[in-house]
Amino acid sequence: MSLSFLAPLFAAALAAIAIPLLVHLVHRERKDAISFPSLMFLARTPYQHSSRQRIRDWLLFAARCLIIALLAAAFMRPVFARQASARAATTGGVEVVVLLDRSLSMRYGDRWRTAQEAVRKRVAALSGDDRLTLVPFDLRASAVNDPTADPAALRAALDSLSPSDAGTRLAPAVALARRALGLSRLPRKEVMVISDFQRSSWDLGDDVAMPPGTTIVPVDVASGAVIDRSVRAVEMRRDPDKPDERVIVSARFINAGPAVKGAKVSLEVNGRVASERTVDLPADGGGAVSFAPVPVPVDGVPARIVMDPDGLPTDDVFQFLLKRTPTIGVLVVDHSDAAPERAIFVARALAIGDQPAFDVKAVRSGRVAPSDLSGRQLIVLNDAGVPPGLGAERLVSFVRGGGGIINALGEHGSAAAWGARGAALVPGTIGAPVDRLGERGAVLGYLDRAHPALSVFSGARSGDLSAARFYRYRPVETTDGVLARFDDGTVALAEQRIGRGRILTWGTSFDGVWNDLPRQAVFLPFLQQLAQYAASYRPVKSEHAVGESVDLSGTGGVTAVSGDSTTAREQRYSVLAPSGARLSVGGPDAPRALELREAGWYEVRRSGVPNERPRLVAANPAAAELDFATFDPARLTNALGPAGENVAADSLPDPVQQLADQERKQSIWWYLLVVAALVLLAESMLASRVSQRRLQPR
Amino acid sequence: MPDATPAPGVVSPRAAQGAQGEMPGMRFIDPGALARIGNLELVARWVVEGFISGLHRSPHLGFSTDFAEHRQYVPGDDIRHIDWRLYARTERYFLKEYEADTNTNFMVLLDVSGSMGYGSAGMTKLDYAKYLAASLTYFSHRQRDRVGLATFDDDLLEYVPPSAKHLQQVLYGIDRAVPRAKGALARPLAKIAESQRRRGFMLVLSDLYEPPDQVIAALGPLRDAGHDVVMMQLLDPMERTFDFSDAATFEDVESGARLPVVPSRLRGEYQRLVAEHVETMQRRLGEHRIDYQFVDTSQPLDALLFSYLLRREQLRTVR
Repeated sequence: MSLSFLAPLFAAALAAIAIPLLVHLVHRERKDAISFPSLMFLARTPYQHSSRQRIRDWLLFAARCLIIALLAAAFMRPVFARQASARAATTGGVEVVVLLDRSLSMRYGDRWRTAQEAVRKRVAALSGDDRLTLVPFDLRASAVNDPTADPAALRAALDSLSPSDAGTRLAPAVALARRALGLSRLPRKEVMVISDFQRSSWDLGDDVAMPPGTTIVPVDVASGAVIDRSVRAVEMRRDPDKPDERVIVSARFINAGPAVKGAKVSLEVNGRVASERTVDLPADGGGAVSFAPVPVPVDGVPARIVMDPDGLPTDDVFQFLLKRTPTIGVLVVDHSDAAPERAIFVARALAIGDQPAFDVKAVRSGRVAPSDLSGRQLIVLNDAGVPPGLGAERLVSFVRGGGGIINALGEHGSAAAWGARGAALVPGTIGAPVDRLGERGAVLGYLDRAHPALSVFSGARSGDLSAARFYRYRPVETTDGVLARFDDGTVALAEQRIGRGRILTWGTSFDGVWNDLPRQAVFLPFLQQLAQYAASYRPVKSEHAVGESVDLSGTGGVTAVSGDSTTAREQRYSVLAPSGARLSVGGPDAPRALELREAGWYEVRRSGVPNERPRLVAANPAAAELDFATFDPARLTNALGPAGENVAADSLPDPVQQLADQERKQSIWWYLLVVAALVLLAESMLASRVSQRRLQPR
Repeated sequence: MPDATPAPGVVSPRAAQGAQGEMPGMRFIDPGALARIGNLELVARWVVEGFISGLHRSPHLGFSTDFAEHRQYVPGDDIRHIDWRLYARTERYFLKEYEADTNTNFMVLLDVSGSMGYGSAGMTKLDYAKYLAASLTYFSHRQRDRVGLATFDDDLLEYVPPSAKHLQQVLYGIDRAVPRAKGALARPLAKIAESQRRRGFMLVLSDLYEPPDQVIAALGPLRDAGHDVVMMQLLDPMERTFDFSDAATFEDVESGARLPVVPSRLRGEYQRLVAEHVETMQRRLGEHRIDYQFVDTSQPLDALLFSYLLRREQLRTVR
């Protein structure tokens, strides 16, 4: 480390130190002279007149000289120059790693052709000692060749590549490049990054330093503004007129570029155009359109939204599985003695549900029969205890088979109502009702918002359950599976699992008498979320994004309640990719996850099950990949630059620029100016004291 | 604080205002206004005409040509002065003589040394002296006096002999006067005294930056030659008050000598020395029967003339 100066010519300003000297000795006297007719009377005054013939205040003089020296030094912009620990050699071979972006966005315009040209130029510039590794990357990165200087092999490898449908992640490619360069013994190293540098591809917080002496060469192939329309999402809801047969499809579009008027969009179901619409899209904005209701078969059909193709046709088509919205069968059991209106809150809250829908059947506890359980995934015992027509054993079996029960404990929810056999249906002992009416009611003091049953309230402004007042409740004595407590610590909601099913016990009623929860806005999402969780409902996505992994073992949706708990742990799947490639997924000790790498339809079949209708998985471009916002490649260069070194973009480091960067980071001039200001302050005070002393008459 | 009392013989601006109050209709002229006129003769005429118009009420002022006496004609006398009416009665030749029939010489001795070039308010002492000299010259010329001029620093620089026809030369000489080098009274005044064979009126305009003894010695030859000597000492207000604020080096405009001083520290002492100098001058010159007049260059010119001539007339009456 040595001291250098960016502007050494300012050292000439040190000559200004002579100024105070001259001021003391000569110049100031002449400068301040005032012409006066005669000094006859002045010369007779008995006071001592100042003399500037010699320096009397050496401290003052030294302070003034120091100020000038500090100012001159600050303007010279000093810097402690750090020599690079491993300066890039100027001779010898170069280990080149070319990171070639092949993500979906590279299909736009002539980006891919420009990227290929950049690779070819670099290959042509290789000398005999150089070696090059070509690493195409999208979400993944892998080298397509061993390090070589053979132009023919490199061009062949390049020609075999084409853009994919996947998104972009620079981090894996950078890590691979660092690994490759770290293994190299060549004296010079270079990483060439050819990409459109989408903002979503690089976490600017990542700081992955390359080996010392590495030159970073970014090649930005994104030029000009992007004009692109894309279908981004699809939403399905039941047709109110025929909720069991038809659905209404809505699609959302994003437009990057100038406004578009009357763009044609169509809904194709099973290869046929079912509905057509036109949509007006504002400049750099979005829009949505709803298509006419279409009938849907029970097991769903492939469908897609198609709009006029543009510069990037891949995102002008959006595949999805058109199917009916799932329905959860719910049996609501009310106590025979309860007033009919007490069941209205539960029935109405569940009837509103659409994603999924609830098929609610309400019966009195005295009239319920085993046949009522057919097609039901959830039983809500609304202060009903154990219905005599079902019996505790049947309910336990129902739960063990995957069904769910929600117990609401009200007037008739005492421990006696459950009996010894029904004890398995409650998570502990149930106490006598606690009356909190005198305290204007209790509130929920604890809520496990991280639990799936209550996760709907985990977000900010997602609902305030503490607004509900609870005037009476039955304490549930349990320590396991507590999801909510009242403000006195009493368990309000508890979960217990039996077999594949779940039982949720709510320590108070849903009838609006023991509490005002049904009159709160949060009641609807609260009850629906409990119902979905208790029924073990898992939403099934009708489409996926490229890059996601799909669990082939789960069917999703509503699990049929049965006594069969067999799992196909060793199931193998045969997958036909959109490109026609056949993949094999699963098997012993292998994950049954299908990674979607292409946009289009995947057909999944279980191996060993002939004539089975394939399961369809729709894959569409990831939304992040369709965001064409970019970042400055210089930031990547800075992030990848070896520690302590400044790496030029396309050449060896410029020593002057390197020194300037170091000077900017160190900012020594700033400290010098601060010191100069302090010395100036001291000089002022000192000069004032000296002046006062001199002006005293002798 | 400086001495607020004006030196003897000085007409301060306040006194001038008092005089203005005593004489309604009299309007004094600001020296700054004179400086803007430029033409010296015009200035002199303006000052004098206005001045004379203000004198109409005073019977004591002015040098009239009143009849004095008759004397018998002797051969050689100018026959134009014979009183023919008296001859008709007495058949003898008598000549009429008047007090002012013999015109006097009026000489302006103008100091043009470097120190006269100082002025703190835009008008230098030399400018003021030039207006004063021009005004009195014009005034004397109107009284049919012979007017002359001598400018000097430490030697005689320009000399215009007294003559009734030399008004323009005198005014021209006054007009072209500029501050010169170091000044000294003795040598030039001695030369002038030697050159004047006829007694006359000598008006000396100077700032008198010399010790009183030297001034007395320099004026001695003029006084001894029988001239009526009037000494006018001109000082700028700043020369009296020394009202400078910042410490600085002061340079003598004549000698070039420098002196770093702190005005606030010696202002009082300086003012005391100046006042003492003026007082000494007045006293010592009076002892030698030399008329002394202090002139503050900030006071109106015609007010000064009025005050001075009034005092001269009073003195003349007393004598």
